[in-house]
Amino acid sequence: MASAPIPSGQAGPPLIGGLYSIDFGRRMDWAGGGLPAFGASGPAAAGLPLMAVQATPRYPPRAAVLTALTVPLDGVLGPLAHGPGRGAGGEAAYYLICPAPAGPPLGAPVRAWNEAALLEEVLRPAATALQQLDSLGLTHRAIRLDNVFHVPGQPVELGAAWAAPPALRQPALFEPPYSAMCIPSGRGDGAIADDVYALGVLLVVLALGRLPLDGQSDAAIIRRKLAMGSFTALVGDQRLPPLIADLVRGMLAEDPEHRPHPSLLLSPVTARTRRLAARPARRAQRPLVIGETEAWDARTLAYALAAEPDPGGQALHGGAVVHWVRRGLGDSALAARVDDAVRHRHAGAEDEQRSSAAAGGAMRAIAVLDPLAPLVWRSTALWPDGLGTALADAQAGDQAVLGALTEMVNLESAGSWASVRPERSDTDTLRSAARAQRGWLLGRNAGGLARLTYSLNPLLPCASPLLAGCWVAGLAELPAALEAASWTADRQKVAPLDGPTVDFMAARSERRLDVDVADAREADAGIQFGTAQFRLLAHLQARHHPAPLPGLAAWVAAHSGPLIDGWESRSRRTAIAAHLQELAQTGYLAPMLSVIEDPPGRSADSAAAQRAAEELARIDAELAEIASGGPAREEAAIRFGQEIAAGIGLTALAAVLVAAALG
Amino acid sequence: MGKRTSKPPRAAAPAGRERSLAWLQGLVVGALVTLATSTALLLAVLLAPAMVAFVFDRAPGRPVARSVALCGMAACVGPELALWGVGHDLAAVAGLLADLWTVGVAWTACAAGWLMAELAPIGMRAVLDALGLARAARLRSGRAKLAEEWGSGGLPDQ
Repeated sequence: MASAPIPSGQAGPPLIGGLYSIDFGRRMDWAGGGLPAFGASGPAAAGLPLMAVQATPRYPPRAAVLTALTVPLDGVLGPLAHGPGRGAGGEAAYYLICPAPAGPPLGAPVRAWNEAALLEEVLRPAATALQQLDSLGLTHRAIRLDNVFHVPGQPVELGAAWAAPPALRQPALFEPPYSAMCIPSGRGDGAIADDVYALGVLLVVLALGRLPLDGQSDAAIIRRKLAMGSFTALVGDQRLPPLIADLVRGMLAEDPEHRPHPSLLLSPVTARTRRLAARPARRAQRPLVIGETEAWDARTLAYALAAEPDPGGQALHGGAVVHWVRRGLGDSALAARVDDAVRHRHAGAEDEQRSSAAAGGAMRAIAVLDPLAPLVWRSTALWPDGLGTALADAQAGDQAVLGALTEMVNLESAGSWASVRPERSDTDTLRSAARAQRGWLLGRNAGGLARLTYSLNPLLPCASPLLAGCWVAGLAELPAALEAASWTADRQKVAPLDGPTVDFMAARSERRLDVDVADAREADAGIQFGTAQFRLLAHLQARHHPAPLPGLAAWVAAHSGPLIDGWESRSRRTAIAAHLQELAQTGYLAPMLSVIEDPPGRSADSAAAQRAAEELARIDAELAEIASGGPAREEAAIRFGQEIAAGIGLTALAAVLVAAALG
Repeated sequence: MGKRTSKPPRAAAPAGRERSLAWLQGLVVGALVTLATSTALLLAVLLAPAMVAFVFDRAPGRPVARSVALCGMAACVGPELALWGVGHDLAAVAGLLADLWTVGVAWTACAAGWLMAELAPIGMRAVLDALGLARAARLRSGRAKLAEEWGSGGLPDQ
């Protein structure tokens, strides 16, 4: 598997990974699992049909999977190569080259399968694939009807699930309710148990020959699953083959720890004997109505509080929830924990802080009521490992969600959430991650939402308008992209380094550049090109692109006027400008930066300027003295004139006396 | 309380010296009139403009009168030699004074001395002004070069 930057200034469509070409005339959207897909060809094909799945900047590919999944796996359309390219319309895009599926997706159309076929052609191959993924620490998170492919009589293939955030396009039916209630981009990588759940749903669908709960909204499906349990909600009174029913009952367990591991599913007979029955939830005699949602137990109450934040908050902070849990549900211990979670508030704080405290209280209360539930912050539910993709999505979309996510990071809520349910999460890891994320968000030098988002999404492309049409996900690709942009941008009006690019560099580069990044931000990047920006670009070229960049160098030289103006001497400024133009033709920024900075030259220039100022002051003083010296000159002229007259008279007298003496 | 010493005014010494000089001059003139009456009479007539100038020139050092006197004295040397050559008596003085040429030359010399004392300061003023203008021009030229070299670096333009 290889990744290569998009070639700049090269004719023809770019090759993905330097090897694979895309045939935009051969669309294969049915194989992309909801993403645009095209036929592809390359040296590794060897008769094997290939496809290129296109990712979009809003939903970046799964970098961790692309890094870890370096060997082909049986039963999964794994990535062979990936890299940036151009979309069919010339837009920025990122492509994953995968083997094309051998057959159509299972959902075209859905038909009823018998037990043997389900076991041999669906369960075993899928479990094998999941077991391999799990051994690599990966998940699939896209097992659904349109992303599992099948040739009659052959084992199924799990489709490509790497070109978009995990579970982004999973319908609520195929997701555990605690994942389905999250925003699609915030579901996170999850665990292999989530894939087991989706496989269980797939088995139910194929066994029934139709989609259960078809036509119901996502919210209704989630409520039904939470209220009845997923197996009952999906199967109801329908009859399934006994072995399949036993397997699916375990696979659809609400608690991920109760679901069988994929390796166990390879032996269905053994797997059906594994029964981990969860303790039935306490159910109240009378429901607590939150908004339009009726809560009968702690699980549905937690969901009601998450889904109906306003009435839920009122009920929570008004004491109705605690009262109902204590009286209606009869669980005094749980009521005390909820009460404790809610009462943790900022007394006397400002409104905004009170609001945040209330949101934090609701988050903790939901976690206490249902430890399986995701993190819920102001009705935005997500799993902490989905924060990065959720931020990338929200920045291009829902600003309310973005505000909630930012507030959540700012308050390190993930750590607080984890501490409420320590048995369900790695509290220390989540706290450390939350602290690091807050540091990226509020960092003194180079923090910010953009930096946080880039840091959490390694393949998120730089959002600079200068790089429109280019997918620049790493610093190695940035110099070439800027060089390409230098030939199309208006060099006089647009600076070669704008704010989004600085944020991108801040996220992708090492911390020692933070000071330069901060300086570049203070100079209001995009409007004024300063030494800090120059230094960042020079560092970028020195570190990632040793080849000449004549276009970028000329672009930088065109914006070096303010930097050259920092020199005092006009003749030196002229000489430096000319020297910069010469150096720009070589395409290397570091020598240009040396000419601009040149500390000894700067010192000499300052000293000379100081001397010039002193000389100028002396000249001005002398000129003023000359201008105001009329009376003094008058007096001197009278004195000298009269002395001269006396001297002439004396000379005449002496001459006459000498003449008389000589006879 | 420290011991206080009173100092005499600074102008007292020159004024005293001036009075002593005046007395000395009076003594010399008196001796001259007594011992060489004809010479004194001739000088009195020939240097009459100088004496007038000494009366009217109140400037310190009497620069105009001094110039007039020096020029007049240069013109008196010839008549004095002639006076001494013909016997040094009042008749000779009368004869010399009767010669308008002698008196005219002496008084013209006095006039020339006065004219020089008046014109020399004007000429000197012209010379000094010219030197000042040339200096200012050189300074402005140097300033312009400095401003051109360092102008936009914060130096004030004139």
